[in-house]
Amino acid sequence: MKPPLVIGLGNTLMGDDGAGCRAAERLARDPRLPSGIEVICGGTDLLRYADEIENRSRVILIDAIESEAEPGSMSLIEDGPEERREHAHHLSAVQQAELLRVMTGTPIRLFGISVASATLGTELSPAVADRLPAILDRILEEL
Amino acid sequence: MSVIVIEHLARVEGHGGITVELEGDAVTNVRFDVFEGSRLLEPLVRGKRYDEVPPILSRICAICSAAHTLTSLKATEAAFGIRVSPQTELLRELLFRGESIESHALHLFLLAIPDYLNYPGAVALAADKPAAVLLGLRLKKLGNRIQETIGGRAVHPVNALVGGFGKVPALDQLIELRSGLLQAAADADAAIDLMASLPAADFCHSETVYAALRSPHLDSYYLGDEVMVVTDGNRAIVPASDYASLTNEKAVPHSHAKHSSFRGSPFMVGSLARLTVNPRRLTGKLAVAMKRLKLSLPADNPMDNNKAQALELINDVERALEIIEQLLRDGIKDERPMPVQPRAGTGTAITEAPRGLLIHSYQYDADGCVVAADVITPTALNAASMELHFRRGVEQCAEREEAVITKRLQMIARAYDPCISCSVHLVRR
Repeated sequence: MKPPLVIGLGNTLMGDDGAGCRAAERLARDPRLPSGIEVICGGTDLLRYADEIENRSRVILIDAIESEAEPGSMSLIEDGPEERREHAHHLSAVQQAELLRVMTGTPIRLFGISVASATLGTELSPAVADRLPAILDRILEEL
Repeated sequence: MSVIVIEHLARVEGHGGITVELEGDAVTNVRFDVFEGSRLLEPLVRGKRYDEVPPILSRICAICSAAHTLTSLKATEAAFGIRVSPQTELLRELLFRGESIESHALHLFLLAIPDYLNYPGAVALAADKPAAVLLGLRLKKLGNRIQETIGGRAVHPVNALVGGFGKVPALDQLIELRSGLLQAAADADAAIDLMASLPAADFCHSETVYAALRSPHLDSYYLGDEVMVVTDGNRAIVPASDYASLTNEKAVPHSHAKHSSFRGSPFMVGSLARLTVNPRRLTGKLAVAMKRLKLSLPADNPMDNNKAQALELINDVERALEIIEQLLRDGIKDERPMPVQPRAGTGTAITEAPRGLLIHSYQYDADGCVVAADVITPTALNAASMELHFRRGVEQCAEREEAVITKRLQMIARAYDPCISCSVHLVRR
């Protein structure tokens, strides 16, 4: 069984959409990160990491979420799979996580960071950037 | 008047997906909205040096990042007059094939097949028929492995550079890929079995114009500088440098994607277009598989694009094997990228991304910095054709129940394998 894995998801060219990736980058450099924990700064296709997820004691995903919550706040997404009819082309991170749970049996917890703005740009919005330390605290607590 | 709206094709505020307006049984209007991320990324590369461009534009799409990278390189090399080595051409083609295998496996098994079998999605399919999903994930994994070996990493390849590759694959890596591909040949056959067993999707017929890269070889995704357009048996050729006369883009009020048409007709790009334009490879095993899938070309049913993708899985695996055999036979040379001498000028490249024709065109200054950039994605090229097929799908639907029409429209949309939501993918509540 491989050690726990953290995957940050998102497109870092689209502002807060890359919040999960940015959080993972910071986490990987954080001296408080327990030894043995692996961290991946992923893109937008979680299924690419199916092999990495297999045979893990657990996996934590961090992704961006558009919600009513305050920008930069993070919550556990516990919904079941969304109805696919909501998407023409691709599987959402929620669906991909559910699919990987079914296929690999690995416990996967998906956290969503509420975004302020997911528009063109390589920087996070100040609201989300300011909350990164708290996001990291929460993920480290989870670990 | 009644209106059917499918909102979730696009994922940017204020932009819907498909809207159908009906006056009694008559279809009065059909609109398809596209958020076209690549257009918005173009300002990001303006002023950037040539070697900074591919890593930025590869992020247009997580699934097609290799195609964007290689098309970007090809455009820059065209602008600077760089001719890459035959080995680089082969490795780039191999990278394209890996991406195509990955993309088609993902699309067919996780997105399209659940529709045919009336599952709400891939998760439900996996719970009930895990073997089908495992088959898809195995093929996807092989596609990823090819991209990692050649491109340096699976997402956004870093090893493909202007003029060649930073590092060429080692002999043992190629041998390992060959063994994976030999196994995958059986999986690609199994994909045909599965596709042949699906209920027919026979609810949208329309004469269709097809456009694909005209390659000097059998069916290259990378080599070639001309597009062939097939209309009702007639063939026209458009050089890459004259791509504007292929696309004839027009802004439409309801969509971020401009609509393309050739000689007044929307056209379809992608797997079905490739097989229609380059049928020379459809012999032997592929001809048998085509018969099993009851596919005849040129097709008048956009749903046949799913069958064409399944055929391309066989073809991609075969072609990738051929390339590896050739590299092993010739011996892999430890080549450095060709020297780069920037110069002012314009370069345009056209390739076949998994979803169809991809165009990158850049204008450079004498220092090799981007003055202007134009990127046209397959989904943007397909937008007008999709809209036409949505209209035909509704017109030919005898039932006027919203749920039936919605499902058919979504199946047609998925058959095109559109890539709408690549730039922003966040979970939306």
